[in-house]
Amino acid sequence: MIRSIAQKELVSTLRDRRFVVLSVLMLGLLLAATLVGRASYRTLQRERQVAQQTVNDQFHHQPNRHPHRVAHYGSFAFRPKAGLSFLDAGLDSFTGTAVFLEAHQQNSVNFSQAQQASSLIRFGELTVAFVLQLLVPLLIIFLCFNAFAEEREAGTLKLLLSQGVSLRRVAWGKITGYGQAVALVVVPALALAAWLLLAQESFANSPDAWMRLALFGLSYVVYFFLWIVGAVVVSARQQHARTALVVLLGCWMLGGIILPKATANLGANLFPAITKAQLDAKVHEEAQKGINGHDPQDQRSAALKANLLKKYKVDSEEKLPVSVGGLVMAESEAYTSKVYQQHFAALTRTYERQNALTVWAGLLNPYQAIRPLSMGLAGSDFAHYVHFQQAAETYRYQLVQRLNGLQASMGYGDKERKLDAATWQAIPIFTYEAPPLGWALGYLLVPVLALLLWVVGLSWLGLRAIDKTSIV
Amino acid sequence: MMSTFWILLKYEWRHFRAAKGLVLLTGLVVVVGLYGIYYGTTEIERQRQHLAELPALAHHNVEELKKKFPGPADAGDIGYYHTTFAVHHPTEWASLALGQRDVNPYCVKLRLLGLQGQIYASENVNPTKVLSGNFDLAFVLVYLFPLLIIALSFNLLSQEKEQGTLVLLLAQPVRPGTVVAAKLTLRLLLVLGLALLLSAVALAWAQVPFDERVGMWLALVVLYCLFWFGVVGIITALQRNSAFNAVALVGAWLVLVVLIPGLLNVYVDATQPVPQGMELTIKQREEIHGGWDKPKGETMNRFFVLYPQWRDTTTIKERFVWRWYYAFQHLGDESVRPLVAAYTNGLRQRFVLVEHLAWLSPAINAQVSLTALAGTDLPTHLAFQQSATRYHDALRAFYYPYLFRKVAFTHADYEKEPTHTFTSISEIGTAASGLWKLLVSVVAVWAIGLVLLRIRPLNPC
Repeated sequence: MIRSIAQKELVSTLRDRRFVVLSVLMLGLLLAATLVGRASYRTLQRERQVAQQTVNDQFHHQPNRHPHRVAHYGSFAFRPKAGLSFLDAGLDSFTGTAVFLEAHQQNSVNFSQAQQASSLIRFGELTVAFVLQLLVPLLIIFLCFNAFAEEREAGTLKLLLSQGVSLRRVAWGKITGYGQAVALVVVPALALAAWLLLAQESFANSPDAWMRLALFGLSYVVYFFLWIVGAVVVSARQQHARTALVVLLGCWMLGGIILPKATANLGANLFPAITKAQLDAKVHEEAQKGINGHDPQDQRSAALKANLLKKYKVDSEEKLPVSVGGLVMAESEAYTSKVYQQHFAALTRTYERQNALTVWAGLLNPYQAIRPLSMGLAGSDFAHYVHFQQAAETYRYQLVQRLNGLQASMGYGDKERKLDAATWQAIPIFTYEAPPLGWALGYLLVPVLALLLWVVGLSWLGLRAIDKTSIV
Repeated sequence: MMSTFWILLKYEWRHFRAAKGLVLLTGLVVVVGLYGIYYGTTEIERQRQHLAELPALAHHNVEELKKKFPGPADAGDIGYYHTTFAVHHPTEWASLALGQRDVNPYCVKLRLLGLQGQIYASENVNPTKVLSGNFDLAFVLVYLFPLLIIALSFNLLSQEKEQGTLVLLLAQPVRPGTVVAAKLTLRLLLVLGLALLLSAVALAWAQVPFDERVGMWLALVVLYCLFWFGVVGIITALQRNSAFNAVALVGAWLVLVVLIPGLLNVYVDATQPVPQGMELTIKQREEIHGGWDKPKGETMNRFFVLYPQWRDTTTIKERFVWRWYYAFQHLGDESVRPLVAAYTNGLRQRFVLVEHLAWLSPAINAQVSLTALAGTDLPTHLAFQQSATRYHDALRAFYYPYLFRKVAFTHADYEKEPTHTFTSISEIGTAASGLWKLLVSVVAVWAIGLVLLRIRPLNPC
């Protein structure tokens, strides 16, 4: 019985011209968003690869230089786009793309696309995720709002129930039918995405990317299911189709537009973050307590030198096999980096607290559950961004310390000498390995839990509510 | 005739008060609007506090330097370790429309080094929060007010029709046009009253100066609401059922507020590519660090072409002198001058393109105009960057005599150092052109609505 009701719903939906027009529009948008996302992914990825290649080549082709000069010359880390970010750009447009890596100093990640865009970007980006998260639910609302009211007004509901079918089974039949109709819109787009992914050699053989795509699809199946069940339940509980429509549209606006903004802004108000100027000042202040590489009068440098003389059993700096300057630099870098790391971790924690409010709101609002889940699976969420920042900082630290080590090994009077150009070619370049799915899932427990709770709660409570609805 | 209108209006008002859902919704919009005002003002207040802390940080830095260099010092050392700030103060208006003030840094830390390596440093921002966007009054007005208008009026006539009361109503000596006018007037009064009330609260809260901008803001808000009422008028004139009206109106909202801006964003990105900023920082770094490896005479001669007044006859024989160091820092900036121009021009052209395309959606138009009025958009940020560049020029001009005439830098000289301040300017021109475009859109939709009502007589069943 459920099957035949489902079939009836599907057939009548396909016969409804309005729905067909809307669906074709939505499908077109989804396909366009996939292709546009893909094109922009390729452009940005190529730009960043070229830029990274350029700076790497420049680094390797430096002339003879003193290692500390090279440490100041530094390098750049460009944030590669995640494989699935063409489906959900997430935070990508709002996080910077390039960070300058140099001695003594940790720089911000600069040049975000949002800074280069006009205020248009504030209206939202037209990505696949945007269509799936906000527009498909609207389609579902228009499809389902009169699921029951229409039958009720036409009197067919009574006929149906007189045949011994329970209201609940009718509801399930409708949910199945609408689900099939929605699948007709969404599946081609996801298939196109999969095909595009397959065409990309670097992802074709990556089980991680495929697992991410599969989970991405699965979470949207759950999300759409939620909307269909919700819409059918509202439609059954409301006497008139128009009130059902208004209630559903109200939910959509509250959940999709007002709440996400309100919680994000409230989070920022509740847990204020430290500004860059304050952070820099604090790091500088505390770093003073350590050794200072550029201050020859520093007392701690003198102590370090005395210790070295004792260790190598010589009486003057000239006789040391190592350069005091290089060791002082290394020590100073180790200390300031530790200080910076502490402050950076605190800042990240503040942001996580701000974001926690948004994520926990997922328990109230499915949109705020699917959004972090989708971004996380696409590799464009906050956790992935912090992962990149840390990888860049780790590389910066290793690079600078390696150069300090080179300086130290030059021995006394290193400042007057330079190292051979070949030295720079032996230094590994910055490569970034995006974290695996398992790591990403660790950050997505709350959204997953919220989505599951919604499915179970809504199917159970909603359909129980349908049972109790009057049929007239 | 007039008295029937007033009677109808009075009854509409009673209807509205009786509809709990609508009263609740209106109340909700008021609360949400007040929250928008609260958030906007606290956000700007927080930015002001951050800016107010900067002099203390700069002072601390000077104290540290005085301790480090107790006697007369080499100005080169001071220029290297001394940090100052270029600051971008918001106008009072910024609280009403925060615009891009959350993604563009409102202060830049500067040292005497190459400017291009410093000016793009971004502020600490939580990208998740920035993605969600600002919940300010402009958002409430541009995004949510159309929805309120739709919710209040999607069943303007259709409800009466569906309940069968329209036949009864029109059986009285009432012209159909008067019925529509009365219904529309009540909703107009209600929505405009709310919009103006919220604006008045925000203007008072933000303590904006009372000048022509107040009038422009209010005019923009009123015209934007009128535009949406015009859209409602068109849909009402089609005389379809409530469900159709709701779908059509939400569809119009979706197209104008969501789809067109999204599509235009893609279009602007594609047609107006901006040379990536990172390209210029890479080139500048290469130039600056190449300076160490080039013969000093060559570097200095290139510098003296630009600054003949500092040409000295001494050739640099030392391994390191500051004036040479700062000379090649500046030459690094000079080398990327065309790239910088291309970058900022690209950004500016993007903005101009959006301004032209704003014809396509009154929502974009309203957003662009409100942020222009508040001085929180891209042109203001570019003006700030230009002002910061001039400040950097002033800093160099201040330090060059010390460096090239080999004058010692004393403790008293810290006081003489130039400081920087920049306050956003309202772009009245942009706002005025937005106002004009909005007016044209309003006239267009109202004209279409009235013509439709004229040519399709009201069908009561």
